[in-house]
Amino acid sequence: MRLAKLSIRNFRNFQAIDVPLAGNVVLLGENRVGKSNLLFAVRLVLDPTLPDSARQLKLSDFWDGCDLAASPEIEVHLHFADFDDDAALVALLTDFRTAADPAVARLSYVYRKKPEVAGIPQSGEDCEFIVYGGGDESRAVSSRVRRRIALDMLDALRDAEGQLASWRNSPLRPLLEDAIASVSRADLDGVVADLEAATKRLENFPSVKALETALRSGILDLAGTAHDIDARLRFAPADPLRLFRAIALYIDNGRRGLAEASLGSANVALVALKLAEFAWRRAKNERNYSLLCIEEPEAHLHPQLQRAVFDKLFQSPDPAQALIVTSHSPTLAAAAPLRAIVQLRAAGGATRAYSLASLPVSPDELDDIEQYLTATRSELLFSRGVIFVEGDAEETLLPVFADAIGHNLDRLGISICNVAGIHFEPYVKLAASLGLPFSVITDWDPLDGAKPPLGKARTLGIWDAYCTVTGTAPLTPEQRAQWQAADFAGFSAGWRQAGIFLNDQTFEIAVANTPGLQAALLDILEEQGFGAIRKARIAAWRAGAPVDPAQLLAMVADIGKGRLSAKLKKKLAWNLAPPAYVAGAVGYVAARV
Amino acid sequence: MSNHLALVRALVDLAGNPEQADAVRERGHCVVLAGPGSGKTKTLTTAMARALVEDVVDPRGVACITYNNECAIELENRLAALGVLSSDRNFIGTVHSFALTQVIMPYARCFPGLLPADFRVATTAQRRAAVESAYLAVFNDRFDPHDRWSFAEEKRRRDVDRSLPAWRGINPELADFIEAYEAELRRRGLIDFDDMPLIAFGMIKAHRWIRAALQARFPVLFVDEYQDLGHALHELVLLLCFDGGMRLFAVGDGDQSIYGFTGANPKLLQSLAARPDVREIRLRFNYRSGARIIRASLGALGEERDYRGLDGAPEGELTFYPVMGGHDAQAAAIAETVLPALLARGHPPEQIAILYRAAWLGDKISHALNGRGVAHVRTDGNALIKRSSRLARFVEGCAGWVTGGWREADPPYGRLLAQALALVYGGRASDAEQETVSRQLIAFLRSSIDAGETTHTWLQRLCRELVAPWRVLARNPQQEWEICSEMVVKTDPAQDKDMPLNVFSGRIEGTGPLSLSTLHSAKGREFDAVILYGMNASDIPSNRDRKSAGALREARRLFYVGVTRPRKELAIVYQEGHHSPWVAELYQRSQQG
Repeated sequence: MRLAKLSIRNFRNFQAIDVPLAGNVVLLGENRVGKSNLLFAVRLVLDPTLPDSARQLKLSDFWDGCDLAASPEIEVHLHFADFDDDAALVALLTDFRTAADPAVARLSYVYRKKPEVAGIPQSGEDCEFIVYGGGDESRAVSSRVRRRIALDMLDALRDAEGQLASWRNSPLRPLLEDAIASVSRADLDGVVADLEAATKRLENFPSVKALETALRSGILDLAGTAHDIDARLRFAPADPLRLFRAIALYIDNGRRGLAEASLGSANVALVALKLAEFAWRRAKNERNYSLLCIEEPEAHLHPQLQRAVFDKLFQSPDPAQALIVTSHSPTLAAAAPLRAIVQLRAAGGATRAYSLASLPVSPDELDDIEQYLTATRSELLFSRGVIFVEGDAEETLLPVFADAIGHNLDRLGISICNVAGIHFEPYVKLAASLGLPFSVITDWDPLDGAKPPLGKARTLGIWDAYCTVTGTAPLTPEQRAQWQAADFAGFSAGWRQAGIFLNDQTFEIAVANTPGLQAALLDILEEQGFGAIRKARIAAWRAGAPVDPAQLLAMVADIGKGRLSAKLKKKLAWNLAPPAYVAGAVGYVAARV
Repeated sequence: MSNHLALVRALVDLAGNPEQADAVRERGHCVVLAGPGSGKTKTLTTAMARALVEDVVDPRGVACITYNNECAIELENRLAALGVLSSDRNFIGTVHSFALTQVIMPYARCFPGLLPADFRVATTAQRRAAVESAYLAVFNDRFDPHDRWSFAEEKRRRDVDRSLPAWRGINPELADFIEAYEAELRRRGLIDFDDMPLIAFGMIKAHRWIRAALQARFPVLFVDEYQDLGHALHELVLLLCFDGGMRLFAVGDGDQSIYGFTGANPKLLQSLAARPDVREIRLRFNYRSGARIIRASLGALGEERDYRGLDGAPEGELTFYPVMGGHDAQAAAIAETVLPALLARGHPPEQIAILYRAAWLGDKISHALNGRGVAHVRTDGNALIKRSSRLARFVEGCAGWVTGGWREADPPYGRLLAQALALVYGGRASDAEQETVSRQLIAFLRSSIDAGETTHTWLQRLCRELVAPWRVLARNPQQEWEICSEMVVKTDPAQDKDMPLNVFSGRIEGTGPLSLSTLHSAKGREFDAVILYGMNASDIPSNRDRKSAGALREARRLFYVGVTRPRKELAIVYQEGHHSPWVAELYQRSQQG
């Protein structure tokens, strides 16, 4: 079974979101955008430990834009799919199938004004909640369903040590109880006898004996004989059935308690034990599906450890459990399957959600994107805007140009995405699905003039990709024909409006043709004290020989992008400007973040 | 949850009977052919409890289909003693309620246009109106629509699968009539009882996923009284069990098939037992009756069976009462001679039953008994409390509660409330809805305690204070509210039919009442002593029975059902010189060894 969709209406940050899901969920988003609220919405439907008093929300839980006079309803709908191959899940969910698609079951939470209350609700008590399924309010979701399709929450402020240390809440408890249950009473009694002997020896140490006596008399003194609790210092309780409660998890080959472990290790241990507990509950037939919600699982974990842990979590093929995590970690985002990613972004007083669950790309394209989003580049997922470029030259020089016209891309949260070629479509789909403003810098590629320039078809392809994701109406055949017939000036002026910026030849030529830019570049290169061959090349370029882009980039790489940027900025600051279409592309995104 | 201890006891109980023990432990398809008194209900309930403990894992459950609500209520009680409750997990009920609650209500809305939204179950008047307007549309002649409908109805019940050639191949005008009738019902937003299994069958046949969903929920299907359940159930069983993966456990006795008029046919059970993939188990021991009564019963049936009584059990008494005169004289003889004789021999009244063919004979015997002040309860068509009506049984329970049951929670209020909720909402209700019904119910019940009302005034108030508001709330498409006003009429003091409430509820100090029942309603019940009333040559078989060989066989099976009810004593009352030919055969067979 998998989570297929989440819909929320009028709840806290959310006015109306419908988020397609693909099983596991990785929730990304800036602070205060509503990640925890989204998790809480899911808990309203599923969490078996959430009491009714918590399900009874308050008026302040309505989305701020709600007009209470219009009797709004808070709604959370959770869709499940692919449960038909598990008979136990079918038995639980079959009554909750949706009318529109019987392969999908829907569980819902609704909070709204009580029918008998007239006028505007004055307090949360004027409202009531119902939890039902299948889109039919008369089909109540029983606690049995919630117990068997259960949600566990590890919140951001979790106290991993505390949770592992307290017997009642420890995920270790059921596992231990089960393990001990299979030990014979005689064997247990043997352990008790051994411990009793050890305790005796301990008590025989005079200093220990003295301490115990002192403690006992102190308690006696305070409480009197009638209330004496008969305290003793022991390794473990003498009752064989309580004995195992003293068993704890130790680290470093038993030398240290978990409390002494690093916060990170304790967190890893907690998550591992939770997963073991789920497996055990399923084996005991107490549960049929587990949804584990972890807020910021990266807390206290070094990136290498993060990658190892999340790879394991996300690659788990177990169809009976799913993970919802919130995160600020690029490492986690890079390890997560792309389709798991849900981005939350605030816009105009309401948070919108962008899901990659149904990103319309082929498996190969998906692989490409996942490869691209290695840990160092997954900041794209956290950015506020993207500029897509064809190659290394653009990637290198763009921040410089942007600085020159007064836009610091880092500070604006704009990423540059080098698609290493001209296959922009999957990346454009990615950006559009995430709701990121973006622009594309690409070449006109006129060839020999006998055939239409390659840039034309490419531009139209990018637009088509954008349309498939956003639901924008695609070009009509007439419009397409008009664009095919357009010349460079008309074409590039038109598509600039849509964020696609074209030069008339190639990037390198554009740079060379920009007044003063090439000279400034060559000045900087000359100052580097390169060897004879490179010096000769620079001289030749100055004299008018065509610039060899590969050689130029090799030299830039040797200087380092940062230094080049700083140097170029100094020179350009006077009166030099980047090529107009590049400035346009930067300005386009900068105006929209 | 099943009560393991109760199950272990029940299994030990069966150990002395290898046939029963085999049946209970069978893990493949199984048909149990069980003669009278052979413990078939015990076998069925034990098999169900065992399956729930050993074979079927929570949250999956089992379904048990039986002939009518009375049988279902009886089974629920027997199963409750074994710790098996009719819960989320299990279904216990009629084939109609199975079709309605497990197939139509959850899934019909997945198929737009299949049924009107918020459909209701047609009342008798609505059905008659639909028959009349369909007749007008199809035949438009001066004959009686309802005569013609009785043939159409038979076809409708027999030709379950309308995709077969027989549907239009034979009597196509009846097919038109039926389709026009059904269209007329739908136009008014209605379905009728026969529609339920037919619609369910169509849905299950057309959509494999529904079959799979039912199998996931109920991996084992139990059917009680298979011989009475007709073609629609048989076709459902074939689909679900032999094409849908459910395991079948069916119990029945072809010799007791007496519901031919509803489409039942003993051949269906035979065909099931003859399948190579079904294990047939015959229960031969008759635990109920003495050897003489068993021998007599074979004479009544006119066929030989290898049934055996228990070794050492008393032979049983068989008495014949020829009476000079017709039905009235026979009724008087029973009240004056036959009954006092049985009572004198020490049979308590609640262990004596008077059985007859039709409700109008019940009126006569009831009149005769009233004349002598003999307390009795009727279970026939004219009974005050319709045994197969859940509403009537609920009213009876309420009467029991207010006349003293509230002291020892017999019945518990919780059960009355659950019954009320099922009547009003069909089982599923929100907290607020439950609260409303509970408030109304408890207010009515409390005001009834020691109110000194007679049954008539109490029922009137019940109609006013409970039924009237519930009618408005009702969401259960299967409604029978008029039963309550019928009960008011049947207790009319003007016709001297009123009675104290404790008499109505059966809470009378001292001995219990005598039972009056039609032969049909007596099936499945047993008594120490049974009086067969009106076993005359012209009554059993009647002229109508003699019209066809099939009807004649069924009438004889009905006689057989009556003869096999008593444990110790059978008294047969008939007009002297005018006895049923089967009485003679019975006498002759009883004289043999």
